[in-house]
Amino acid sequence: MSQSVSLSLFSILKSHTTKEEMEWLDSIPKMHLESVMTAFVKAPRHLSKTIIQTPIGIGDLIPEVPGFTVQDWNLVRLSRVWLLSFFAQLPKEQLVQKIETLFDTAELNELVALFSALPILPYPDVWLPRATDAVRSNMGFVFDSIALCNPYPFFHFPELAWNQLVLKTIFNSKPIALIYGISQRKNKNLSESIFDFIRERWAAGRDIPSNVWLLVSPYISETHLPFLKRLFLSQKEEDVMAASLLCSESSLEPIQDLFNEHPKYKDEIQKGKWNWSNFMTVC
Amino acid sequence: MCDQNSSTNNPSHFENQNTSKEIPTHVDLRWDEYKESIKGFKFFDPHIHMVSRTTDDYQNMAQAGIVAVIEPAFWVGQPRTGLSSFKDYYSSLVGWERFRSSQFGIKHYCTIGLNSREANNERLAEEVMEILPLYIYKEGVVGIGEIGFDDQTDLEEKYYRLQLELAKEAKLPVQIHTPHRDKKRGTERSMAIALEHGLDPSWVVVDHNNEETVKSVLDQGFYAAFTIYPFTKMGNKRMVSIVEEYGSERIMINSSADWGISDPLAIPKTAALMVSRGISHEVIRKVTYENAIEAFAKSGQLDVSDFENGFSADPSDKFHGNSVLRGGQQPKWNQNSLFID
Ligand SMILES: [Zn+2]
Repeated sequence: MSQSVSLSLFSILKSHTTKEEMEWLDSIPKMHLESVMTAFVKAPRHLSKTIIQTPIGIGDLIPEVPGFTVQDWNLVRLSRVWLLSFFAQLPKEQLVQKIETLFDTAELNELVALFSALPILPYPDVWLPRATDAVRSNMGFVFDSIALCNPYPFFHFPELAWNQLVLKTIFNSKPIALIYGISQRKNKNLSESIFDFIRERWAAGRDIPSNVWLLVSPYISETHLPFLKRLFLSQKEEDVMAASLLCSESSLEPIQDLFNEHPKYKDEIQKGKWNWSNFMTVC
Repeated sequence: MCDQNSSTNNPSHFENQNTSKEIPTHVDLRWDEYKESIKGFKFFDPHIHMVSRTTDDYQNMAQAGIVAVIEPAFWVGQPRTGLSSFKDYYSSLVGWERFRSSQFGIKHYCTIGLNSREANNERLAEEVMEILPLYIYKEGVVGIGEIGFDDQTDLEEKYYRLQLELAKEAKLPVQIHTPHRDKKRGTERSMAIALEHGLDPSWVVVDHNNEETVKSVLDQGFYAAFTIYPFTKMGNKRMVSIVEEYGSERIMINSSADWGISDPLAIPKTAALMVSRGISHEVIRKVTYENAIEAFAKSGQLDVSDFENGFSADPSDKFHGNSVLRGGQQPKWNQNSLFID
């Protein structure tokens, strides 16, 4: 896997670098670990912060790593992740030791690159404590690098850690739509935490993003009727739409009764005009 | 090694308090008396250990016109027990401390190195040398420092030489700490070794100079830095005389303020004294601002436009989600008021 990852990343690098920048990247002795580590740190001394634009509609950038994307990274970040891809061929013990050292000595931007690289590193379980720590740690950019547009949590986080990630994204008013695999990892515990959270927010007179309701959609019961009623009263059309979608997914009688009070949306949903994907732009 | 503790109970910028004849000048001047005379000046302190200073200091420094500082890695007083504490310390120099400084509108750079005192713990020194390359290339690291001699032991020499090579390879300026004891010999030895390793003296800042060392340092083409530090190093009256005698070329002033009795306003105070002694503004500007920039900009990591016209602190800014200015505090407040609102 590692070699094809390196090659894929390199081809994107090539289209974003100047001649001098490429010369520097070429000059790094890729088989010499210490040189690669130093290059990882000194990348900003040789590279610009050009923003990476991958061709639109490219789908999965690297077939072996679903969901992995480098869109909107800067050149330094991409180069760092590319450099880390050369570590993948090391024996496990050595690989872990080198990557841990980079983590221990990293400044903010280096941490972002390290977390961005987790999906392409072997032995994914080894990085789990680092990754869940990053979610806990309140570092803005670092949190984003693990939580948003990064497939590692979807594939490797246990439920508790996954739920923490999602809750914290909502709590920090970041876009949950950018969490890779968000729709596929709904679960009962998460939905209960979200109902608690919504209760709290509403008690404080504060809003919640309409797409958060997607996460509770399979778990609506009669006890949630007050939530739905309140949602139908919202001034925001998306809220009313979310309430309608929740109703449309339930066969419970009192919920259907409520739905019937809003025939316009019922009709449009049945005609296929609306579904949860209207709330989500995927990264 | 065993008597290390007994022979090194005098901190890096602070020694022989009782034997010094120097009268501290810093208490003779009051802020109210001299602040008007340096209005409009911008100052750059190329040697200050903010890790051991308070936010009060940052406020006062900003008000006195200090717009940028360099924090060299140094001996924090407490001996280190492992590599991790080095990592945390270096990380704070490029991370938290830089952020804290920015909250007061002061641009913060650093130099990274293994301090001479710490070179004497060989096992730890070896480990530190392995991770140094991961720090010296980070953004905003403007040199290798402060390195050099303290007790002038063989181990100090070994790691001094290794770090000079590192500086050459990384194309970074070097900031040399000269010893308190046997200073003249230590300074000559530091310079000779730097030249032996092929360093361009204009890339080397020799620090903590005095009347005994300045001529040789300047004659050999090095930068001569002077630390205005009460009791032990230079008083600023002496400093004024040195500027009068040697001019402003390759001379710079710093505070080396740290956890000892030191003064983060040493530069503005010295500038005020120079103004009162009739030294030209151009000369004052060179020794308190321009020369330091000229020396450390060789790193390619120092951009004058980052601080020349000031930058406003954004109190809502966060570092790792943490703020220095808690609950809407402002970077400046009235310390003279009895009320703490
Ligand atoms: Zn110092």
